[in-house]
Amino acid sequence: MASSRKGFRLDRLGGVIAVLIGLALFAAPFATYRANRIVSGEPRMLLDALPPGLASGVLAAALAVAVMAATLRAAPVRLAAAGLGFAAVAPAMGMAALFLTPEGNTFARVSPAFGFWLLMLAFGLLVADSLTRLRLGPWGRLAALGVAAAFVALLLLSGAWSGLSIIKEYAARSDSFWREAGQHLLLALGSLSAALLVGLPTGLLCHRLPRLRSGTLQVLNVVQTVPSIALFGILMVPLGYLAATVPLAAALGIRGIGAAPALVALFLYSLLPIVANTVVGLGQVPAAVVEAARGMGLSPRQRLLQVELPLALPVILAGVRIVLVQNLGLATVAALIGGGGFGTFVFQGIGQTAIDLVLLGAIPTVALAFAAAVVLDAAIELANGTSHD
Amino acid sequence: MIEIERLTKRYGNSTVVDGVTMRVEEGSIAVVVGTSGAGKSTLLRMINRLIEPTSGRVLIDGQDTMSVPEDELRHRIGYVIQGYGLFPHRTVAENIATVPRLLGWNRKRIADRVEELLDLYQLDPAEFANKYPHELSGGQQQRVGVARALAARPALLLMDEPFGALDPVIRAKAQDDLLAIQRRLGTTIVLVTHDMEEAFHLGDRIAVMDQARLLQYAPPAELLTRPAEAFVERLVGSAERPFRLLSLSTVRDATEPGPASGEPIEASANLREALSRLVWCGRDALPVAGADGAVMGRVSIDGILRFGRPSR
Ligand SMILES: Nc1ncnc2c1ncn2[C@@H]1O[C@H](COP(=O)(O)OP(=O)(O)OP(=O)(O)O)[C@@H](O)[C@H]1O
Ligand SMILES: [Mg+2]
Repeated sequence: MASSRKGFRLDRLGGVIAVLIGLALFAAPFATYRANRIVSGEPRMLLDALPPGLASGVLAAALAVAVMAATLRAAPVRLAAAGLGFAAVAPAMGMAALFLTPEGNTFARVSPAFGFWLLMLAFGLLVADSLTRLRLGPWGRLAALGVAAAFVALLLLSGAWSGLSIIKEYAARSDSFWREAGQHLLLALGSLSAALLVGLPTGLLCHRLPRLRSGTLQVLNVVQTVPSIALFGILMVPLGYLAATVPLAAALGIRGIGAAPALVALFLYSLLPIVANTVVGLGQVPAAVVEAARGMGLSPRQRLLQVELPLALPVILAGVRIVLVQNLGLATVAALIGGGGFGTFVFQGIGQTAIDLVLLGAIPTVALAFAAAVVLDAAIELANGTSHD
Repeated sequence: MIEIERLTKRYGNSTVVDGVTMRVEEGSIAVVVGTSGAGKSTLLRMINRLIEPTSGRVLIDGQDTMSVPEDELRHRIGYVIQGYGLFPHRTVAENIATVPRLLGWNRKRIADRVEELLDLYQLDPAEFANKYPHELSGGQQQRVGVARALAARPALLLMDEPFGALDPVIRAKAQDDLLAIQRRLGTTIVLVTHDMEEAFHLGDRIAVMDQARLLQYAPPAELLTRPAEAFVERLVGSAERPFRLLSLSTVRDATEPGPASGEPIEASANLREALSRLVWCGRDALPVAGADGAVMGRVSIDGILRFGRPSR
């Protein structure tokens, strides 16, 4: 690049990050102030959103991060810089909420604005970049995820963010939040477990009997292409009929609306990735390995459990990752047919034009999907390590 | 001892092994050769019932293999294939321990056996026991493959192109190792190969297959001097014949009384090696030394050449 002076070279990505930070600080509002939860808001720049001393402190910290990102190349230093950025800006958002809300006013709402999100994006890029350069192994990435989760938990539990609008939405419905969270997990994990229970044997069968393979995969492919809302709708009819005619079904809580059609729909969506990846995973076990296992007298069961499944595991886990991330997202739609989950808040919020309520449903969903992806990627790498290394 | 009786395999209307009868004596090596698709692997895999015969039977030490559950049968028969099929998710030691574990040996006995086999194959246990197959060279993988097949001390070893993927130098070493170990353990071996050189080097008897049929099953010399069909003659290679024949006899067989000058040649060397030495150093004869190093006579070009012809 431009400069060739010793020890000083501008880092390309670091430069972009520095520009993002600059824009966020000087050209974008840090917070939004609203008189109540549904009117549109007024933007507040960083310097107006915090007491002057604090504001300049945060400003200085963020600028320092920008300079470090642009000039320092050692990955651990850049990671520390990103940590400094988060530690300065994230709690400051909570302070801004307290500072901007007039004393005793319970209707006013303060929420993060574009500048804040831009800062988070810049710091996040810096973290991602340094983690990549550090070439963290699976355990390192899990640890990084744990640190991030602990940081957010600390902010939430310490009350540092309690003045923020989204936390106020949460405080107003903390009971139902945790109930819907449980329901969301039940929908996503329940459908995944059912899909594993059915999909693994199906995949195995397709592997052993090639004649079954293409037919099965085609049917599942068709299921996969039905839009989620349509599938939920289609399922309401037979399940409603089942509930009306079979008392046992009704007693088990199966109804045309509610969790049952949502679970069934998510289950159906989950089948293709599980079955397909099981077939592919078993198929890529080297023929010589299977032949040797047979030749040494492993029974079909021993062959499956000791050789084929362990070697197919990374590919099967990749299917589980697809399903889990997909279902954590899709479960949001279940709320439309009374299935519960975080979608409840999203659709309530849309109905009330209360954006904070929408975020109360959306942010945990995204966070869960992200965490699931990180955890399963690590698991896949670990499985790969023991199966192909 | 293995007795194969009228063994036949058909897929639909194509016969891939056609009424093969042969007998492999206890402690001997039978090598199966033939063109690609001749049915060699199919024949071999019917012995441990990886393929069920359409008709005919296989007796091992007089016992019909059909009367034994197939897994049990395979526990007793070592099996080595091209590419070896080592388990990539298991260490060298775990790979070798496969059959002993299936047989329920105790931990100590398995560990001792693994160490013994690694020693036998000149793989330092401290270095290799905990490596994974992908960390080994082709030659090392091959040795682990054979060690694994020998782990439960099978009396019978089936090998399908076990040296096919090795370079010539490592291959020659692997063949000599196999011979040495076979002589020591008295294992009966059936080995499939494409390499005629290998067949003549290893085989006590050679079975020639073509288009599903066993054309001839005879000791190597007989295959050269009395080929049963034109195909056998072509396969053993008419140009190579004298040299193959020479490689089947030792210097001891051709030693004659009389003096000769030059570096003595060992009596245990084969005549092809002796001829090669004579040609290279430009002499007509060389002294022959016994195992103790004492000169016991001489070997001459004329004396050697007599062994390169059918009637002598
Ligand atoms: N499952 C099967 N179904 C139909 N035909 C088969 C099957 N397995 C093998 N064959 C056929 O049987 C014949 C003999 O196969 P085999 O593997 O025994 O040959 P081979 O002598 O070992 O050949 P190569 O030297 O190439 O390994 C081949 O023509 C092959 O196509
Ligand atoms: Mg073959």
